[in-house]
Amino acid sequence: MTAEAPRESDGHRRFVTTVVEVEGREETKVVELPVSEPEPWGEDARLTVVGRPIPRVDAAEKVTGRARYTADIVRPRMLHAAIVRATIPAGTISEIDVTGAMAAPGVVDAITLEDIPRIRIDGNTLFDRTVKYVGQPVAAVCAETWQAALAAAEIVRVTIERAAHVATFADAIAADAPLVRRSGNVSRSSPSIMERGNVERGLSEADVIVRGAYRTPPALHTAMEPHGAVAEWEGVGDRLTLWESTQGVFRVRDEVATGLGLSRSRVRVIKEHMGGGFGAKNSAGAHTFIAAILARRTGRAVRCVVDRYGEQVDTGHRPESRIHLTLGARRDGTLTAIVADSQVTMGVGGWEASPTAIMHELYGCENVKTTDVYAWVHSQAMDSFRAPGHVEGAFALERGMDTLARALSIDPLRLRLSNVPGRDQEKGRPYSSDRLRECLVEGARRFGWPGWEAPAGLQDSEMRAGDAVGDGMVREVVAGGGIVEAGGGRRLRGIGMAAQVWGAGGGPPAYATIKLNSDGTADVLSGTQDLGTGTRTVLAQIAAESLGSRFEDVRVVLGDTERTPYAGNSWGSMTIASVGPAVRMAGEEVRRRLCEAAAEMLECRPGDLSARGSVISTRDGTRHLTFADVTGKLGNVMIMGHGSRGPNRRDVGLVTAGAQFAEVEVDAETGQVRVIRIVAVHDAGRIINPLLAQSQLEGGIIQGLGLALFEERIIDRATGVPLNPGMHDYKVPTSKDVPMIDATCLPVTDPQANHIGARGLAEPPIIPTAPAIANAVANATGAAVDELPLTPRRVLHAIRSTYA
Amino acid sequence: MLLTINGRPHDVHVEPFESLASTLRERLQMLGTKVGCDRGECGTCTVLLDDVPVYSCLVLTRSCEGRRIRTIEGVATANELHPVQRAFVTHDAVQCGYCTPGQVMSAIALLEQHALPSDDEIRRSMSGNLCRCGCYPKIHAAVKSVAAAAVEANDDR
Ligand code: FES
Ligand code: FES
Repeated sequence: MTAEAPRESDGHRRFVTTVVEVEGREETKVVELPVSEPEPWGEDARLTVVGRPIPRVDAAEKVTGRARYTADIVRPRMLHAAIVRATIPAGTISEIDVTGAMAAPGVVDAITLEDIPRIRIDGNTLFDRTVKYVGQPVAAVCAETWQAALAAAEIVRVTIERAAHVATFADAIAADAPLVRRSGNVSRSSPSIMERGNVERGLSEADVIVRGAYRTPPALHTAMEPHGAVAEWEGVGDRLTLWESTQGVFRVRDEVATGLGLSRSRVRVIKEHMGGGFGAKNSAGAHTFIAAILARRTGRAVRCVVDRYGEQVDTGHRPESRIHLTLGARRDGTLTAIVADSQVTMGVGGWEASPTAIMHELYGCENVKTTDVYAWVHSQAMDSFRAPGHVEGAFALERGMDTLARALSIDPLRLRLSNVPGRDQEKGRPYSSDRLRECLVEGARRFGWPGWEAPAGLQDSEMRAGDAVGDGMVREVVAGGGIVEAGGGRRLRGIGMAAQVWGAGGGPPAYATIKLNSDGTADVLSGTQDLGTGTRTVLAQIAAESLGSRFEDVRVVLGDTERTPYAGNSWGSMTIASVGPAVRMAGEEVRRRLCEAAAEMLECRPGDLSARGSVISTRDGTRHLTFADVTGKLGNVMIMGHGSRGPNRRDVGLVTAGAQFAEVEVDAETGQVRVIRIVAVHDAGRIINPLLAQSQLEGGIIQGLGLALFEERIIDRATGVPLNPGMHDYKVPTSKDVPMIDATCLPVTDPQANHIGARGLAEPPIIPTAPAIANAVANATGAAVDELPLTPRRVLHAIRSTYA
Repeated sequence: MLLTINGRPHDVHVEPFESLASTLRERLQMLGTKVGCDRGECGTCTVLLDDVPVYSCLVLTRSCEGRRIRTIEGVATANELHPVQRAFVTHDAVQCGYCTPGQVMSAIALLEQHALPSDDEIRRSMSGNLCRCGCYPKIHAAVKSVAAAAVEANDDR
């Protein structure tokens, strides 16, 4: 099914069928064509608010502690809920005894499977009698205080007839393995094969073939604010209001309405501030339904905030991946074949985020074949985690590319430069913006990559041209003889790099309404959400630019299914590219009407007027009216604008690209890795706010560093019990782990992507960080470090097995 | 018992096992102090106890009698941000903001003890406050800028 780029001339056609991309998945949808989309802001557009590094609008609220998160919502007579969880990974519940808990002080109600409708979460039933993982909710209690609820949850007696479990991919696919799902232990689509060209031919044409096996760990989102919801019913209990920490108010609304058998308009979901999501907060969770059901039963508001243990064992994770990769190339470095087989350990649910999708996209290659197998095991469900699939696949592909570079004695950067695809190979179309090469080159310059002249001051004194992969540093480790104290002693320096590609083009449907207040200020309403990403600020900038108003005259109201028009989940790095154009369109309409009203007052033609800084002026600059003058005269006559996001063009591919460079120091005696600096250059089209964009880049890089060095959720294979469900044992980066980061975006725009020229930026920066760091460690030690995270033990093991 | 919070006395009745975080949030509705883990792992609940940063989720309220408790609510005046808060805003040392009140409290404690901390001192002193959004470089820059401005102001005098 195709939909050509619909234009405004398509007068009688208001709805078209188009393909919308979300996190690498494509869906066909019927969408509305905007009545008139503005002309794109071009390279030379004179923009005064867009592009400025304005501090975020809600920063003052946040630094003073006034910003209200879900756990800060207090309703009259509110109760607190706590979740009772399974403590073994598999079995059948024979009894749940809540009498002790109900008798505990302050306890008001308790629910189990019998007390609730059948609710499906991640393909599993809430409070199911069949236990499938440690941490699975089996009951809930509510009490007058959170402490009382937690204490009561502890004394609910759950009897589970234990059954055999599977904890690993290998266990899951073994003959006679206990079943996690009735349909079997691999997903229905497994093996999922994607092929282009002919890899046998590609391999036969190769002068060099390299093979590798790579592993990325199960990783936990670990947002600082746990999942939570506050539920309150109105009237006789047929209207539900939910305050939820979520990336998608409308999706939560729909899921809750479906689960509770309500019509959608009876559920209102509100999200004001949230303490991070990173993909884990896309849907209604057990806590959401528990709050809603207990609130209905008790006739009181109920807050259910997940505790840290629950957060770490039951709110999603990046699944473990194992990837076998074969690369074939000609002597000059041209790739002739990419063959990858992946095994993904999903947990009990989730969706199939292909770790090999990136193999088809990042580098030009005619022959690519990938095979993915997804297994269900007895642990918490997988969920989207910042660039799901691509992070895992990039690690394998980019480690593989370095191995290939070494085998070919080609500089790793040159190898990549000679394989930049230049076009969307899957769909055979050009990119709207083809700037991977620019990112690689600019990054190399800033980093001072050997052979690329660095601007003065950026070159690290330790770095010499001879330290490139396969050279220099490796000599400091003597084969068979262990480590020698050469030059800088036992500390080895190394450099590495990696590249990235990710969708992030956004798309419909997304709406915005702007209403002009009688004091000349504007309110922007849109049902999207700000995860800490800066949506509020960036949309205010787009609105101010299109309105011709001052930035501080714009207020952005987000995330309320009853009061704001629809916008989709904040996932897939698509918020700004989806909602931004709708906001601009609404702003343009308001400005047009305002100028029409002002023309009436100034007795001129609207076309003779322009707006800037909340002032409307005649072209000759002789006469002015402020927005407030006009709205003041209009009194209660209201000016409103409405904007919607049109479909993407189908003749261009929308991707973000980027490159990162890392320098590390490895202690050859302890295996300790210290990242010294990271240089990142990304292309995301027009940057609306460079200050906030840089924060996004730094944040992604730091999460990538965590994945590279520390982060790994560990489940004991024998017992199925998570061993590190907290932030001490599951270590995330701290201020002491952070290197010097030079992160920037290319100063470009992408008018073919949409009329604001912006694409997404949230996920791209996490993709290349871990492989760049691993490549640098490999460069420093000469050892193959192909399993993440690069803990001292793994690094030492890799060094020993290389030089044994 | 009597608690002194941000210079004001509060007469509260608390349970023996009650944490300072829950007294602040649940009894006194002082919701600026956040709770990320409730077990001493993350630093979101940082407050100052006699000017020393502590994890309020690990402090028993009963042990706080007669001590000076400072929370994020007492940092800004009605219409002026504290220099640390201002620096956090201008440097964009805030993303989701959930860790921010704790970060601000730790930064204030550090700067009150060392007018001009070294880079390493900043990194070490702030390492008990996790930020999953990864604001560390910007937080570092914000803290440094406050220190530099204070020294400059001193030199001018
Ligand atoms: S809430 Fe106190 S340290 Fe995490
Ligand atoms: S700003 Fe989100 S955790 Fe620090």
